[in-house]
Amino acid sequence: MRRDFLKYCTAAGLGLAAPVSASSRLIADEPGELPPHQGLCYIVLNASGGWDTTLLMDPKGIGGINRLYAAEQILQQGQHRFAPTEQHREGGLSNEQFYSEFGRELLTVNGLDYSVNNHSPCSRYMATGKLDSLAYPTFAALVAACQGPDCPLAFLTFGNYSATGNLVAMSRVPYLPSLQRIANADAIEGNARSPYNDDFALRRIEQAMADRRAARQKSSLLPRSERAESMLYAAQVNSKALSRVVPYIPKEIPKQRIAQQAEIALAAFKAGVCVSANLSIGQFDSHANNDKDQMKLIPELLEGLAYILHRAEELQIRERLVVIAQSEMGRTPNYNNGNGKDHWSVGSIMFLGPQIQGDRVIGATDDGQFAVRMNPQTLALQPSDGLQLRPEYIHQALRQFAGIDQHPFSLRFPLGVAPEQQLQKLWSTEQSPA
Amino acid sequence: MRPLRAGSHRKITPADSRPRLANSQQPTANSQQPNTEHRPQVPAMVAATSQPPWIPPLLLAVVLLSDLRYSLAAEDNRGCPVTVRSTAHETWFATEVWAKVGRLKCLRCHRTGGDAAESSFVLLDPAASLNTPPQDVLRHNLAAFTAASRLQADGRYLLSEKPLGRLEHGGGAVLQPDSSAWKLLAEFQRRVNQTSASSPPDKTQPVAASQAATPSFFAGVTLADDQQLLRRATLSLVGRLPTQTEQQQVETGGRTALAEILMQLQHEEPYYVRLREAFNDIFLVLGIDGNPDSTVLSYEHFEKTRLWYQQHDLSHISDEKDRRQAGYKLANDYRQALLEEPLRLIEHIVRNDRPFSEILTADYIMVSAYSARGYGVYDQLKSQFRNPDDPLEFLPVRLSALVGRNASENQESATGFYPHAGLLSSFQYLSRYPTTETNRNRLRARMFYLHFLGVDILELAARGSDAAAATAAFPTPVMQAGECVVCHKTLDPVAGLFQDYWRFDANFSIYGRRREGWFEDMFAAGFEGQALPPEDRWRSLQWLAERTVRDPRFARTMAGHAWQMLTGRRPLQPPQDIDDPLFAAKQRAWEQQQCELDAVARRFTEDGMNFRSLIRDWVLTDFYRAHSLQNANATDDRLAELAEIGVVRMLSPEQLERKVQAVFGQPWGRLNEQTAMLYGGIDSKEVTERATDPSGAMGAIQRTLSNDVACRNTALDFSRPPAERLLFPDIEPTVVPGSSAEADLQIRQTIARLHQRILGRNDAVDSEEVQRTFQLFAGVVADAAAGDRFEPQETWHCRQGLLGPVPDPHYTVRAWRAVITYLLRQPEFLYE
Repeated sequence: MRRDFLKYCTAAGLGLAAPVSASSRLIADEPGELPPHQGLCYIVLNASGGWDTTLLMDPKGIGGINRLYAAEQILQQGQHRFAPTEQHREGGLSNEQFYSEFGRELLTVNGLDYSVNNHSPCSRYMATGKLDSLAYPTFAALVAACQGPDCPLAFLTFGNYSATGNLVAMSRVPYLPSLQRIANADAIEGNARSPYNDDFALRRIEQAMADRRAARQKSSLLPRSERAESMLYAAQVNSKALSRVVPYIPKEIPKQRIAQQAEIALAAFKAGVCVSANLSIGQFDSHANNDKDQMKLIPELLEGLAYILHRAEELQIRERLVVIAQSEMGRTPNYNNGNGKDHWSVGSIMFLGPQIQGDRVIGATDDGQFAVRMNPQTLALQPSDGLQLRPEYIHQALRQFAGIDQHPFSLRFPLGVAPEQQLQKLWSTEQSPA
Repeated sequence: MRPLRAGSHRKITPADSRPRLANSQQPTANSQQPNTEHRPQVPAMVAATSQPPWIPPLLLAVVLLSDLRYSLAAEDNRGCPVTVRSTAHETWFATEVWAKVGRLKCLRCHRTGGDAAESSFVLLDPAASLNTPPQDVLRHNLAAFTAASRLQADGRYLLSEKPLGRLEHGGGAVLQPDSSAWKLLAEFQRRVNQTSASSPPDKTQPVAASQAATPSFFAGVTLADDQQLLRRATLSLVGRLPTQTEQQQVETGGRTALAEILMQLQHEEPYYVRLREAFNDIFLVLGIDGNPDSTVLSYEHFEKTRLWYQQHDLSHISDEKDRRQAGYKLANDYRQALLEEPLRLIEHIVRNDRPFSEILTADYIMVSAYSARGYGVYDQLKSQFRNPDDPLEFLPVRLSALVGRNASENQESATGFYPHAGLLSSFQYLSRYPTTETNRNRLRARMFYLHFLGVDILELAARGSDAAAATAAFPTPVMQAGECVVCHKTLDPVAGLFQDYWRFDANFSIYGRRREGWFEDMFAAGFEGQALPPEDRWRSLQWLAERTVRDPRFARTMAGHAWQMLTGRRPLQPPQDIDDPLFAAKQRAWEQQQCELDAVARRFTEDGMNFRSLIRDWVLTDFYRAHSLQNANATDDRLAELAEIGVVRMLSPEQLERKVQAVFGQPWGRLNEQTAMLYGGIDSKEVTERATDPSGAMGAIQRTLSNDVACRNTALDFSRPPAERLLFPDIEPTVVPGSSAEADLQIRQTIARLHQRILGRNDAVDSEEVQRTFQLFAGVVADAAAGDRFEPQETWHCRQGLLGPVPDPHYTVRAWRAVITYLLRQPEFLYE
């Protein structure tokens, strides 16, 4: 009953998408301890600004597409071909190191066609699978709403496009110490030994809150009020679960950008109070000095990825963690006058995690860095009449992977992917997880 | 400042629309005023190959236009929504063909200034037609579609074939043949062509029955009464509770008195804080990267003055540490002044009842004594500052044309002055939205359209294409490839108007011309089809501003900004998914809000663009006043229609602090810096959108706030003399529930009072709401009594700062604290 109510609280976030039906109104019962989320957790790591895929997972050694290496220098680890960066990187982790450790777990999709090449629509498209709507939720928000509506930090974001579709509240926790601060809200200065109220008084307050919420649900509220009051009540009640995060807050704050964000997300995953997190680092928009900038940022990104996976191992949640690394666009197959590369509407995306068969590369670009069409059933290249691989196909597959493609929230935001266009066995050559 | 008397706000006229400049330099006359008369265009369709056998299309359009006029009520051509007095055919066109195809697909290009502006199928954009009755816009577009429906090429109808990408459609394929949108077009075409020339479609049909039966939009909605509205407005605009005098004025004077109070409120100092805060939420100008003494004032043009604070004489401070701290404060105050200048310009315009169009046309900037030093104009202004030591006292000033370290970087100016164009030409706006070598000022152009004309260019572009293929296929795709041109034809001319601000490192310079001349591989500088005259290049942003403020979209956009200031959200976007079962409901919601926005914007324009009037008018609309529903069993369609009415805004950290202060006499003081960010605040840089829904983290902060504010204020209030108490003037901690009927009544009366003060509710002492709170209070006291024992006084933390001892032998003080805690967690307190 309680879980149903809290799901309703999220469902009440329908806004324009689907107003609250009077007949669906439920009555809150007595608040209690929330069970932790124990399903899969998702990190979407964004290389904001547009990464140069030819310097990572889609190497090109001809036609002047890059100046760092020649075709014969392209490296291979299992099925992955990648650019050699050990000699060029400034800090971080080289491709060689990354593929050596994680290549067997890594699924790469190349030749992803973003269709346009501006930051804002591309970011929206990559995050939601829908180019022409501002209303769609990001995958991270959608999966959080479907699988963790009662989690107090269901959807964490540290940047990038983070629309929620009015399905779930977006949580920003920009600093690690902030987690400590909010973990014991009913205690003075967060010190659990100094509660503001005696237990009996707090219980009375909570009971009065629940009673009033139940009474308000019977009244004739505006749709916005109904939604707001539901979400407010859920936010306050669920916030008690944040105390579970405390044991997993590290004593020292890491210096790297991704690591700082990851510590917050992973602690929240471990505590069962979070389903998904948007992590992001920027400055990839290398219109000038492309190689120099990308050789700082790609190694930083890979180092961050490695940090996430290692730390998840330490926290013993690696088997529950899915990581998606993406960018909103690629860089042009030529350099401009400032040694930079401009926006390119073709790029790549990477996946790691349980039930994702690694050591695989799907899709491709041709010698001119144009996307090559593919067969969605076999995933083989089919240049003449295959499918132009676009974000909605990836998102449809992601929804299926997460088992939310038939969830009412997902159905409210259809991606328009016909059955024959759906990517088969993207996640595994054996069978698609569900 | 001269406060306006109630109801005395004046209409701003051109004669008094010029600012009094601190340096007494009167601005030059703006350039010629173009003819702004707007006439609906009569579509001039020309058949591609074959003429309809019975009537020339142009003539048909004229005839049809004439006929349709008779079907509309003549007495009110501002009817809203557009279908109010339409025939069935017009209504069907408006709600189906226009709403689902014309506006969403065709209008992107087939409009004045659009990619297909030169075609023979040009539509009117309702958003750009504020001064044209909506029915006239509908008639124009219906006529255009009707005429287009009759055109054929090679025996195929253009209207249904071209959107599929056939018959050389310049926009390529925009519809799929099996889509709902295309089927609608085909049906429209069928209806038109099955009708004989002598009998245009449905011209004599009466108003559609369903239309006539449609209830008014706000039917069944309870509106806030005038007292509730007064409280909402005073808290929202000036962060305080209404005074007894104001309440009495509204009690006796009703809506008229309320309207006058709304204008008066906007002369109170806290209003200007709120105003600046709201417009930073929109323009984000506080989010400039780096130190503004370097990024606002560039090395090239302000090398000798911008770092004045480093040489400022602080030798009168003998202690070295104090001197160092004073130096830090000086620098910080200076930087703050520089950052705030654009927002202070907005404040200046509103404070002095100047036309709000001056946010673009002001030929001056605002400077303080501190920032004036950075510009090197302090000496000529210092006598005019009331307090030259106040870093945040601002005056209008007009700068001279920029002089560079190198003569090549000197600014061209026909007047000798910097060509100020309000916010647009301010160094802060240019620095906040910089250009790059490859961006070519397009970010600035995009933000210009978004901020001042309400057009999100990138949203226009949101359609699947193949940018990589276009790049490969065309030498200049932004001028040749249809999917690129659709945006770039609008965007690039405005980008070209920023061409003289062509430096990429603001620290070094913001102003500067491209040595090779402006790019020729992008559309030339201009605005909406008008080319920039060469003689106006030096003042190109002024040229842009003059045209922008006369564009009806400017007034609509400002009305939208005012709505956002009041509600925290932008006006609705039209629904896009035409297959959504709730499309019609969402369409109605959008149309109704647009109608109100149009009406408010029209009055704003007619009233000389007085921003205070704009706020007043919005507050008095039913959209703002909506409070609750009369019927709990509304259908899903009806709920979708009403989904966005009412304010129901989660208070921002700043607003919540002000509300705590208004109710308790002191702010909480902890919703700042990191906690403010955690509570959904913005930093104007990375985080630019305020959170609208509470997360669990925010729920935790709400709990902390309610605990802590109750802790600080409950015993404190009891420690005051009764006459000075804010919360408990009529009760003492000695009053114990259940001890007598009189005691219980006294407690209930106190609860009702607290409900009113904290929640704005007028609950009767015997109401369910008061009963619930009473049970909480009595329950806590009873639980304490039933327990083993408790301290006869508040906890140490909650008895700090008391004016005198407040014994709590019955646990009533702590029970009242529990009540306050409970009330502070309610939506009526945390939302507006």
